[in-house]
Amino acid sequence: MRNIVKLGSEKRELQRQAEGLRPKKDRRKRNLPAFSLKPSVLPLILFCILFFAVVSFAEEKGGIKTVAVIAGDESMGRLKQPSGLFFDEIKKRLYVADSGNGRLISFDSDFKYLAELTNDTIALPTSLVKDKEGHFFVLDSGKGDIVFIDLEKKLVKSFPLSGVPSAHEQFVPGRMAIDQDNRLYIIDKLNKRIIVAEPTGVFVREITVKDKGFSGFIDVRVDDNGEIYALDTIGGQVYVFDEKGNVISRFGGRDNKNNFRFPISLAVDKNGLIYVVDQHAGKILVFDRKGVFQYAISRPGVKEGELADPSYIFIDKEGRIYTIDSNRIQVFQEEKR
Amino acid sequence: MKLLKYLTGFLIYTVIFIGFHPEIIHAKDVKDTQSLCYECHAKRVEELTKKAIVHQPVKDGKCTGCHNPHASKHSGLLAYTGSALCYNCHDQKKGFAGIIVHKPVAEGNCLVCHDAHSSDRKGLLKKTEAEGCFSCHAKEGIIAKKNVHPEVKRGRCTACHNPHSSDREGLLIRDRKSLCAGCHSGADAAFVKAHFGYKVGGTDCLGCHSPHSSDRKGLMKASLHKPFAENKCTACHPVGASTVIKNNSGLCTECHKASLAGFDKINSHLIAAATDNFCISCHNPHASDEKNLLKDKEARVCYGCHNDTKEYVARSNHKHPRLETCSDCHTSHGSNNQFFLTKGSDTCAMENCHAAQGRFTHPIGEKIIDPRSKTPMNCSTCHNPMGSPESAILRFEKDRELCIQCHQV
Repeated sequence: MRNIVKLGSEKRELQRQAEGLRPKKDRRKRNLPAFSLKPSVLPLILFCILFFAVVSFAEEKGGIKTVAVIAGDESMGRLKQPSGLFFDEIKKRLYVADSGNGRLISFDSDFKYLAELTNDTIALPTSLVKDKEGHFFVLDSGKGDIVFIDLEKKLVKSFPLSGVPSAHEQFVPGRMAIDQDNRLYIIDKLNKRIIVAEPTGVFVREITVKDKGFSGFIDVRVDDNGEIYALDTIGGQVYVFDEKGNVISRFGGRDNKNNFRFPISLAVDKNGLIYVVDQHAGKILVFDRKGVFQYAISRPGVKEGELADPSYIFIDKEGRIYTIDSNRIQVFQEEKR
Repeated sequence: MKLLKYLTGFLIYTVIFIGFHPEIIHAKDVKDTQSLCYECHAKRVEELTKKAIVHQPVKDGKCTGCHNPHASKHSGLLAYTGSALCYNCHDQKKGFAGIIVHKPVAEGNCLVCHDAHSSDRKGLLKKTEAEGCFSCHAKEGIIAKKNVHPEVKRGRCTACHNPHSSDREGLLIRDRKSLCAGCHSGADAAFVKAHFGYKVGGTDCLGCHSPHSSDRKGLMKASLHKPFAENKCTACHPVGASTVIKNNSGLCTECHKASLAGFDKINSHLIAAATDNFCISCHNPHASDEKNLLKDKEARVCYGCHNDTKEYVARSNHKHPRLETCSDCHTSHGSNNQFFLTKGSDTCAMENCHAAQGRFTHPIGEKIIDPRSKTPMNCSTCHNPMGSPESAILRFEKDRELCIQCHQV
């Protein structure tokens, strides 16, 4: 029946055209855009869709190249709960706190294993920095102590701080950073502050914030200008301080889907971009100093280049990104954007 | 005779007019739907309307407010299913939306509690308030203990809870600190005496008291901190003051020295707290119904900080059955294993939970290396214990996707 009606309407339309009248608009098509799709355009559209998909995927990967994956081998054994690392720009070596194995290990600039350091004084090394004189400062989470290491003098000893103002809780050191003047920045976990100390251990200043919802710092970095970057995981906030400890900027949050899920570590590159590792999102989120989101690097997963519950990030002067995720270290190099 | 003729004509005309006049026909058709429906559903309608509370559309005879008289894809010829039908009249934003939404409301199952037509109970409830609540919330866990809160005994759950939605945990009608003050005055002599003169007004009563029932006097929670149980308030508080003698964790570690060692690990929960004493972040120093004097149910305590995990777990189709007891797998204070796991990659085999796994399934262990990550394989290589959209909490679809992650043809 429908076909008959259709044929009838087509016949009427042909009749109208034969009479020189304008074709009658099809009511069903009245609101449709005035163009028709030619079959020759289809391959072009298909190409555009594929191109868009490829570009989107590349964006998800963040235009990043995996330089190295270190998980362990026969010579060095397997990494076990590595917690901190840094690249020594002077000696061009990568140093890692292999916490679960209670050792510090080093790699050359091609990330080939060099040596390990174990000592009775260090039980659970979790954070480490090195000053320009070549001295290491290692956080031992097993004893809640900072250990000073002078390899030349074969000296390993506790590094007490002096002159630190008392606070309501005992001082429990957390992650550390070091600036161009060899000043140490040590997180005071229970007192929600960062202690700045001379390489001698003498207190310089403390840095804190009085924000509502602030729950203490989990990670800290200092850039070449002396500006300090700190992260509050539970509050989901990134803080940027000037060298005197005044807040320049703060951003983040964990209160909705557009913010952090579980930010656990941060790093700053030579351009001042802030890289935040979100452990539960399995991504590195990059922001400018004002907190404007720039792009994301990597995605959750265990394959090379992906991040499985990442816990730490470091960026060297050449812009290489070092991450720790699930008992492995990955080194990435960002490609030009 | 002529008159009879006229009269007959008039009668015929009247009959025709009444029978066929368009307005009369229309009036017959728009007879209220109730009457129309009554013609067939008389018995049902009679049943519906004789109860004390009748739903307004039923009372008004607007059966078509909810039912389509001709056809519907939903049972009962309903125009829509679930709450979508109810929200046509009852504004969802007013009382049915909040941070916490009662499960039946969130699932759109209004009829779990309410009768759509009529009821002998206020709010068109199908059962009495308590019967309704207890049909889902096990009565034994709420009122089985010796002393029962009078409002609970009366079955007035809504005295404290909003059955639809609330911005507060437990669907409470007020925040925990002011909920009890509505009935219990802090100035009352008996109240002051019961609290040994300590000013507890404005504190969280539910921290120490069970709001439903308890075997202890004064509805105190089951486990009491030793000094509290012995009425040695001055062990922690100055005499007569609600402040504490030490404003930090030293107050606790003075007695619980051994607990501190548990924090000296690679992964440690030795972190700053909203309160001065970080121990209080998780523990109640007076009383608790939970083990280790936890201030709330374990998962709630953990989710207090790990709120994104809570959301992840909530939206996962498949979950580990023991997710509500975090400490079954994680060590709360600190651990040298990833994710604070009690026994690292052997955690799944603990207490013979999954002891046989790995022996007859895919090989796992230190020598079996995942070709993707270059790290040893363990249970969590294939399973995500925190939840997954896939069955058996697998990380990928079990028939193909999971295997081809490593075994590429």
